[in-house]
Amino acid sequence: MASTETIRPGEASPAGATDFDEVDLVSVQTYWQLVRRRFMRNRTAVFGLVLLSILVFSAIFFPFIGGDAWHLTDLTRGPTDPISITAPLGYDNLGINIFFRLMKGLQTSLIIGFFAVLIIAGIGTAFGSISGYVGGKVDNLMMRIVDVVLSLPGFFLILMLVAFIGSVVSPMVVIIVAIGITGWTTAARLVRAEFLRLRESDFVQAARALGASDSRIIIRHMVPSAMAPVLVAATLGIADAVVTEAALSFLGYGIKPPDASLGNMLTGAQDYFYRQPLWIYYPGITLILVVLAASFLGDGLRDALDPRQKLEA
Amino acid sequence: MATYFVRRLIQAIPIVIGISVISFLIVYLTPGSPVDKFRTPRVSPEMIQNLIRLYGLDQPLPIQFWNWFTHFWSFPWDNLAWGYSFTDGRPVRDKIFQRIPSTLLLMGTSLVVSVIFAIPIGILQAVKQYSWADRLITTFETIGYAMPTFWLGLILKQFFAVNLKWLPLYGQNSLGKQGDIPDMILHLILPVTTLAVVSIAGWSRYMRASMLEVLRQDYVRTARAKGLSSGRVIGRHALRNALIPIVTLLGLTIPSLLSGAAITETVFSWPGLGWLGVQSVGERDYPVVLAVTMIGGMMVIMGNLLADVLYAVVDPRIHY
Repeated sequence: MASTETIRPGEASPAGATDFDEVDLVSVQTYWQLVRRRFMRNRTAVFGLVLLSILVFSAIFFPFIGGDAWHLTDLTRGPTDPISITAPLGYDNLGINIFFRLMKGLQTSLIIGFFAVLIIAGIGTAFGSISGYVGGKVDNLMMRIVDVVLSLPGFFLILMLVAFIGSVVSPMVVIIVAIGITGWTTAARLVRAEFLRLRESDFVQAARALGASDSRIIIRHMVPSAMAPVLVAATLGIADAVVTEAALSFLGYGIKPPDASLGNMLTGAQDYFYRQPLWIYYPGITLILVVLAASFLGDGLRDALDPRQKLEA
Repeated sequence: MATYFVRRLIQAIPIVIGISVISFLIVYLTPGSPVDKFRTPRVSPEMIQNLIRLYGLDQPLPIQFWNWFTHFWSFPWDNLAWGYSFTDGRPVRDKIFQRIPSTLLLMGTSLVVSVIFAIPIGILQAVKQYSWADRLITTFETIGYAMPTFWLGLILKQFFAVNLKWLPLYGQNSLGKQGDIPDMILHLILPVTTLAVVSIAGWSRYMRASMLEVLRQDYVRTARAKGLSSGRVIGRHALRNALIPIVTLLGLTIPSLLSGAAITETVFSWPGLGWLGVQSVGERDYPVVLAVTMIGGMMVIMGNLLADVLYAVVDPRIHY
């Protein structure tokens, strides 16, 4: 990421140096150091990062120590069993440990969110960089393709793909791919905008003057500089992907039992509205926590990555 | 303005074709064939071959697409235009048109409710920036925006329909009360609240940001300096400009209302287009699925067009 380093002498001096002659002694901060400082000052953003870390850790750790607990039925146990340290949320109607099932569902959600966003960022970057770099008629045509994809009823299309193909291929893979191929347009537009700006910038001109090939200029020089908005869009995209998966599974088309998903846990809990009113809250609140963590982190990254945001020392 | 509108309409044509091709391809490429349900031991293979010829399934893909596409856009639509539903044999056109009023009722009501609440809330937040009220509302907005619609719908159902028994659990009318307006209003409350909470949370944030932006401008300071009352400055001078981005947002949210409504309609068994779509996908009723997808795509295009046109109407600084 060397190309994005901006040297800002005089800012944020550790000793509060105001004397002009001492400027040379002041430590120089790179762009990424400034980003980190701006991010760490934003309490909501740090909260989002911590929350997301806790969620990711739980989604890896608890299914690991729980083993098969997330799908093992035990007919000697039921919803009336007292809660215990091994089953903090009790057992469901089949005697499955709700807590471990919830964590497995969270794992499913986060895996889908992560890989869907990876596809979104990948397609978006490739499409947007070519469109922005080549320009002209190619750019025009590629942006019309973006218009078409943007005009498709996204959720409905994902629903169709998952329902029609999900029975043949693993539904998890279909959900990831479906969210990926319908959701890349925003990322593509952001990358294209960055490329239009960067195309005429000095360091790209310099690389071109030195005889670098187009692909080298794009991949080595321009893509790293255009990554900031994609990172923000991807972080915010996790929230969308997780909610989309939950909605699909809730409607009965996505991940189906016995596989665990926050969405199909909600569907199951719906039948116990009277007797177990809390059951719809466990997956629902977990879902909200994921969405909040991703959007706090995404908004915080957007503010931190913006070089126009000044950091008063 | 008129020429701009016409130009935008012409620009929409390739998008319509693009949507048609993609929708058609998805349905075409799904595993299985429409004649599969006839494949029983009682139907001879020759019969199946005849059906394939009858439906034109033996023709090359571009010709199949062209047949479907020209029929789909043959205005005025006759029974044949959108085909017949696989599940009950009724013309797809009738099934769709029957559901449109319910969807429009639900979407329209929640749109109006959202606007009525979101705009005053946003103004209040902007005028009293950083007050305890602003902070409290911002917290609620953040949570409301993060709440998945289907979960919110479930919670509302559990609380108001199951526990308190104040409101009906699902449907548009109670049994035997078809077309009864007070009964329908009771049925509307929960789905409208579900949809409105999320859009109020989103829109009031925009309204707050937009109002803050306007309140910083010079002409507002001038109005204040002239000695106008603060209500007049905010209500007459600032509000008009602050509403411009909101009007655009309105057009852009119309299409997303369809998918939001699809989930909410399913949760509350509201007999609208979205629920029909979700049901048809489950029943693999391809003609209905195709028609719903196309209408969804049309709504996106119309929404974008509406947003641009409204933008030009409300903001005199914009000329096309």
